[in-house]
Amino acid sequence: MPKPAVMRQMPQIAHVDVNCFYASAERAFDPSLEGRPLIVLSNNDGCAVTRSPEAKALGIKTGDPWFKLAPRAKEWGLVAKSSNYELYGDISARVMELLGRHSAWLEVYSIDEAFLGVKGDAEQLLDLGRRIKETVRRHVGVPVCVGIAPTKTLAKLCNKWAKNNPAFGGVCHWDSVSAAVRESLLARLSVEEIWGIAGRLTRRLNVLGIFTVLDLVNADPVVIRDKFSVVMMRTVLELRGTPCIPMEEERIGRDQLIFSRSFSTPVATVEGLRQVLSIYGQQASARLSKHGLQAKVLTAFAATSPFRHHEQAYPSVCVSLPMPTADPLLLTKAAHALLPQVRDGLQYAKAGLMLTDLRPTANQPPLEPFENRHEERGIGPLLEDVSRRFGRGSIGLGHAGIRTGLDWTMKRGMQSPRYTTHWDELPLVKAA
Amino acid sequence: MGVVIGPRVIDAGASLLSVLIAPVAVAAGFPSPAQDYFDGRIDLNAHLIKDITSTFVVRVTGDSMEGAGISDGDELIVNRALEPKDGSVVIAVLDGELTIKRLRITPSGVVLQAENPKYPDIRVPALSELTVWGVATRCLHHV
Repeated sequence: MPKPAVMRQMPQIAHVDVNCFYASAERAFDPSLEGRPLIVLSNNDGCAVTRSPEAKALGIKTGDPWFKLAPRAKEWGLVAKSSNYELYGDISARVMELLGRHSAWLEVYSIDEAFLGVKGDAEQLLDLGRRIKETVRRHVGVPVCVGIAPTKTLAKLCNKWAKNNPAFGGVCHWDSVSAAVRESLLARLSVEEIWGIAGRLTRRLNVLGIFTVLDLVNADPVVIRDKFSVVMMRTVLELRGTPCIPMEEERIGRDQLIFSRSFSTPVATVEGLRQVLSIYGQQASARLSKHGLQAKVLTAFAATSPFRHHEQAYPSVCVSLPMPTADPLLLTKAAHALLPQVRDGLQYAKAGLMLTDLRPTANQPPLEPFENRHEERGIGPLLEDVSRRFGRGSIGLGHAGIRTGLDWTMKRGMQSPRYTTHWDELPLVKAA
Repeated sequence: MGVVIGPRVIDAGASLLSVLIAPVAVAAGFPSPAQDYFDGRIDLNAHLIKDITSTFVVRVTGDSMEGAGISDGDELIVNRALEPKDGSVVIAVLDGELTIKRLRITPSGVVLQAENPKYPDIRVPALSELTVWGVATRCLHHV
């Protein structure tokens, strides 16, 4: 576990994530929510998915159903918000773009977290962590914590410490924490707190007498591999400071699908990226269909190569889809919204799509077959023309056309305005 | 709908408004040779937004900034990353609300001023006790 001095100059990994992301995004536009217990609800206002620290202090758990909390909300001063994925998607895109300015190597890991490749001595790394934290707060208005360590698993762990121990001031660098302090913190952390270790694995580890992270660090990696898997062995090695979790390229989580790839040779033209995004749109569509899901919000991003000495760029765009969909044509068209930000001549090394506001396909009437038939009769361009002249939502096919009807399957009674994506829902400032 | 300024956020299917306009002023009756080089439309996003990560558009309600040419219903382009200075038009958090004021930083203290005699000044003990949400850089005034 001890790090030789030479490690300090090796590339390290910073893990950055937004504290209570959905709640923080709500607060960024509504300061009256500051200091109040706040939860954000899942689709259909089902249960709490994000809790502010004040809500956690009330004993509210992730997954608590809203109908059980609602009767006591008034007494607690608890505010609940329906999920507002367009707002979260835009805030996320802003944060990721800012992070890209701080490192040539950026891996967007989820809507609210990313890994960055960083370099420098302890002082420089801590300073970078603080700069990232301050820049995101100043530009976007949401709080982040930063964990910096030689491996992804440790970087995530450091981030957790940064969040939970005020003494770190929101930035924790593994090598800057004394070995004694690290050991005592590891001994206090149960294994299930580690990235990638879920409930079932925890019970099997406990059977072997492995309860804390420190126990796991001291376990024999080979025994762990034989009893569990190579994946678990990697976790042990990562905890000991050996990087072995590579860049991940595809993940489907509770509420998002991320699809990204690095290219074997850089793509340097808008046309090239158009092709790449078209392929990803189709592949993402296939993934959604496989899981029986549709998405309402799409984020597309690209990144230049971090290993070449030329101009860097991290364009990203958040697109609100006209209806929840897994249609490859719609997803591809939406992904192409990134293209105006792409510049010919830059060496793009990576691109990706992130789909959020996911919901089961069954909720949606099958509109697409009809739409295709109408397209043939030239009704599509007509609809677009009418929309352009009289505003979006003024005309459309069936349920898809009516503004208030878009989310007719989805209960979102407590949604805040989509402050950054809809001209008629801008934040209001009082001149009084 | 109007100009889509939500940075990098595009409603699928809607197109950015671009203004088709000649790039140079042309003297009447004399065709400018520069016209030959006309090659595009003015992109308001490019001109009005310095940093897309920190720029937001807000809408004004109320008449307290009339003197600054900012009226009820106008939209403002706000940069959250700018350092507020003496004379800045700021969006400040007052009693949990986003409020627009003129910031005055003077030797005798910090004052939030309205630009309308109907509204009194608000004195702030120190700049550090004031939460400035952002600094307005442009007003999209309805004429």
